[in-house]
This record gives sequence, C-alpha cells and structure tokens, in this order.
Amino acid sequence: MKRALLAMLLVAPATAAIGVPLVQFRMAFFSDAIGHSAFTGVALGILLGVSPTWTMVVFGALVAVGIVLVKGRTDLSADTVIGVFFSTAIALGIAIISRAKGLTRNLQMFLYGDPLAISDAEIVWLLFLLLLVGFFLIVTYNRLLLLGIHEGFARSKGVRVKAVEVSFALITSLVVTAAIRTVGILLVTALLIIPAAAARNIARAAAPAFLLSIGISLFSGVCGLIASYYLDTATGATIVLASSACFILTAAMRTARSNE
Amino acid sequence: MNPEICRHTLEIRNLSARKGGIEVLSGINADIRCGRVTALIGPNGAGKTMLLHAILGQVPYTGEIRFCRHKEHGGGSPRIGYIPQHFAFDRETPLTVLDFFALSAQKRPVFLGISRAVRRMALESLERAEVAHLADRRLGRLSGGELQRVLFALILHDSPDILLLDEPVSGVDLAGGEQFSRFLSQIHNDARFSLLLVSHDLSLVARQADEVICLNRRIIRQGMAKEVLTAENLAEIYGDDIPLFLHYFAGKDQSPREPRAAKG
Repeated sequence: MKRALLAMLLVAPATAAIGVPLVQFRMAFFSDAIGHSAFTGVALGILLGVSPTWTMVVFGALVAVGIVLVKGRTDLSADTVIGVFFSTAIALGIAIISRAKGLTRNLQMFLYGDPLAISDAEIVWLLFLLLLVGFFLIVTYNRLLLLGIHEGFARSKGVRVKAVEVSFALITSLVVTAAIRTVGILLVTALLIIPAAAARNIARAAAPAFLLSIGISLFSGVCGLIASYYLDTATGATIVLASSACFILTAAMRTARSNE
Repeated sequence: MNPEICRHTLEIRNLSARKGGIEVLSGINADIRCGRVTALIGPNGAGKTMLLHAILGQVPYTGEIRFCRHKEHGGGSPRIGYIPQHFAFDRETPLTVLDFFALSAQKRPVFLGISRAVRRMALESLERAEVAHLADRRLGRLSGGELQRVLFALILHDSPDILLLDEPVSGVDLAGGEQFSRFLSQIHNDARFSLLLVSHDLSLVARQADEVICLNRRIIRQGMAKEVLTAENLAEIYGDDIPLFLHYFAGKDQSPREPRAAKG
C-alpha cells in the first residue's frame, strides 16, 4: 500500500503536468493511441521473452514519434494519421496474442493496471521520469504553449516547431506507458486529460491552470487509492472516478460563475 | 530621410513557390525599401499570404530572398515581426495578456510566475499601444481590435526591422479601421520599421502605402502608390469588382480619375 501511494505521488504530477499542453494541443486521441499501442508493446515483450514493461515503453515511443513524423509529411488530418497507426498497432498486438496461447493473464495486469503490484525498479523509473518531465517542461513550456496558441505566430517568434513536437510526443509516450502500470491501458488517457480539463474549467491564467491540474491529480490519486482500499474496487478505476468528480465540480463552478 | 541610409531591406529575386502541385507564385521580383510602407494588394488566391510565408521561411520556394541589414542597425540577421491574418486560437485557453507576453519574453516557464522585468516591459509596450488596461484580461476575451493592439504591442517590443501585416483590419469594424489607420501611422513614425502590408482595404492602402505591389500569382504592377493606384490598374486587378473604397483617393493629393461605375 505504501508503495502504491508512493507510485501515485510520482505518477499524478507527471501526467497532470503533461496533460496541460496536451489538452491545449487537443491531443487526447494521441495519448489514447499511445496507451492502446502499449498493448502491442506488451505482447511483443512476452513473445520475445523480455520484460513487457520495457518493450511497452520502447514501442510506445516509436509509435509516438512515427505519428508526429508522418503527420508532418502528409495533408491528412492528425486524427486520420493517428487512427491508422492506432488500429495497425492494435491489430498487430491481437495477432501476436492469438498465436501465443496463455498470454491473457499477463495482459490483464496491463489492461486494468495495479499500483499495488509495482516493483522497486519501477518506482525508480517513475522518479526518474518525474524529474525528466519537470526538466523538460521548465525548458520548453513557454514554447509549447506559444505553439499551442498559434503555430504560424510561434514560428515567427523562433519556435522550432518540429523539434518541440517530436520531443513533446516522446515525453508524452514515456509518461503514458509509465502511468499504464497504475490505472491500465483502458484508463490511462484519463490521468492526463481529466485533471488538466478540470483546471481549465476554473483557471483564468497560465500558472493557476498548471498548478491546479497537478493539485487535482494528486488529490484524486490519493483519494482514489484510499477509497479503493475501503470499497474494495479496482484502484485505477477508482482514481479516475475521483478525478471525474473533480471535473464535474469545477464544471459546476464555471457554470455558476458565468451565470453571475 | 537620408538617401544613403534608405536602402532595400528585402530583395526578392525570381521567387516561385508551389502549393499542392500548383505554382502559386512565379517569377516574383520585388524590393521592400527600408523604413517605407509597401502594400501588397491583389484578389483572393493571388498568393499574398504565401509570399509572406516565404519571407518568413515557412514554405519552400525557389529563387532568392535577400535581407539587407544596414550597419547602423547593428548588422546580423534581421528581426521580422509577423501578425497573421486570422489570429485564430482556442479562446478558452487559460492565459492572460501578460502570460502571452511572458511566453516569448522570458525563459522562466510561465507556471513559475512572470518576472518583474517582463511585467514592467509588457506594461510599457501595452501602454504604447494604448491598451495597458488589458494586461490582466484573458487573451480569449479580447475583441478583435483589442487583440490586434496586443499583438502590435508584443511585436513592437522586439523592435523589428521588417513588419509583415496580413489583412490587419479584417474583423474590425469601420470606426476601428479608421482608428487603426491612425494608430499604424503613429507607431510607424515612432519605430520606422519597414512595413509590408497585405490588405484588401484600399482606403488603408491609399492612406498608408508609399509603394504598392499588385500581385496575382505574378507581379502585375509595382511602383509608387500614386502611380499604381489608378482606376485602370485596379479595374484590371480586381476585374469587375471595382473596390468600394476608391472615393477615399479624393482626399489624397494625387487623386486618380473618377472610377468607372461598377457594372450591373
């Protein structure tokens, strides 16, 4: 339980922080695609007989960079490119699993997540990742946000769009695959999107939006973990429900304010 | 102005650019003169915005764009300011006007706060554009005219050598347009950047431009404003859609002949 709490305290701020620019870029579908392609990463790991956690991380990063590079070279819309990558990756995963029997039990852990089963090595990876996310955002946050507001204007201000896009996609994929261990493939996007969306409901300036997102994520992570212990429910799902409650609350506050 | 200082800031030579396999710009030769206002006019789809993007290096092109920066400016590569045509962005973004300044003015990430120096600088720049009262407002809650002033304040803070303005008055009502014209004259007098102005608003062009380039995928005419902005030339460029604003020329010292009445 202590380790699960520690894992949540490391994962929650990282996902929430990355979630703020992710929502600005309208990339919810992108993070979902990375999350689902992690399924194939896991299947590959099992097939090759190496740790599925690491094949998941590597495969997720490859899909993320692939999507960004292909998107830059075609006139297709982003969601079409993501859709193609996403379905291809999933199909590959299912094909692998259907050939190798007896994999399903291993997969369950990744589909639903389990913060109670996180290893020490994974805690160290989460800590490293949180530091990496912090460093990345301190260096690039202003450029990311400027790009999220207006690409042409950001370019004229000297933002190197491709470099920012690729590095952001890469960091996002690392965060998504790390967070899968806590809430699972099916719910991982929620961890990135919901706190940032809830913060946007009430924040008017850039700093409060960012800090509120992290606060909401930490709060729902800890509350969800404790609640799942007493309610005997799946931890990942309970955490996501807690953040959904925060979203509903902030949406109500926003409506109340606009009616004043 | 001293003729020795007055040179071309920008020399465009034999520039062509394609979009989707179609040649949108071909064989463009033009000079943007230092400290002058050059207007770029032409019908929709003439490639005006494309030319701006080529100058900004945002689209591939063949030919040459030379930036000539006089020693008195300190040499080095020129600073180009750009205000896009439709500054369309997510209006729900949690971002104040000061935040928006800080994004390009400070290294410190905005989530760690805005430095005192940037705050002071931003307020000074906003003051010059007469919009200091908007500093703490949300960017997404500004009117079209207010947003335009804020963009000007931000761009002018960089003291650009060249300012590219794409359809600056679109989305601003007529009174706003007149006010804008005065505002533009004033800031141009203060800062003396070279201005390349894309506009359909020929009243604005007539009042502001020293030189005019008529573009329709290639250069149709270019020269001093009074020579280019004649009823005949305009009729040729715009076809039967003779612009509504020709009557403004009557106020200029060199008024062209009466425009022909629009057909139909």
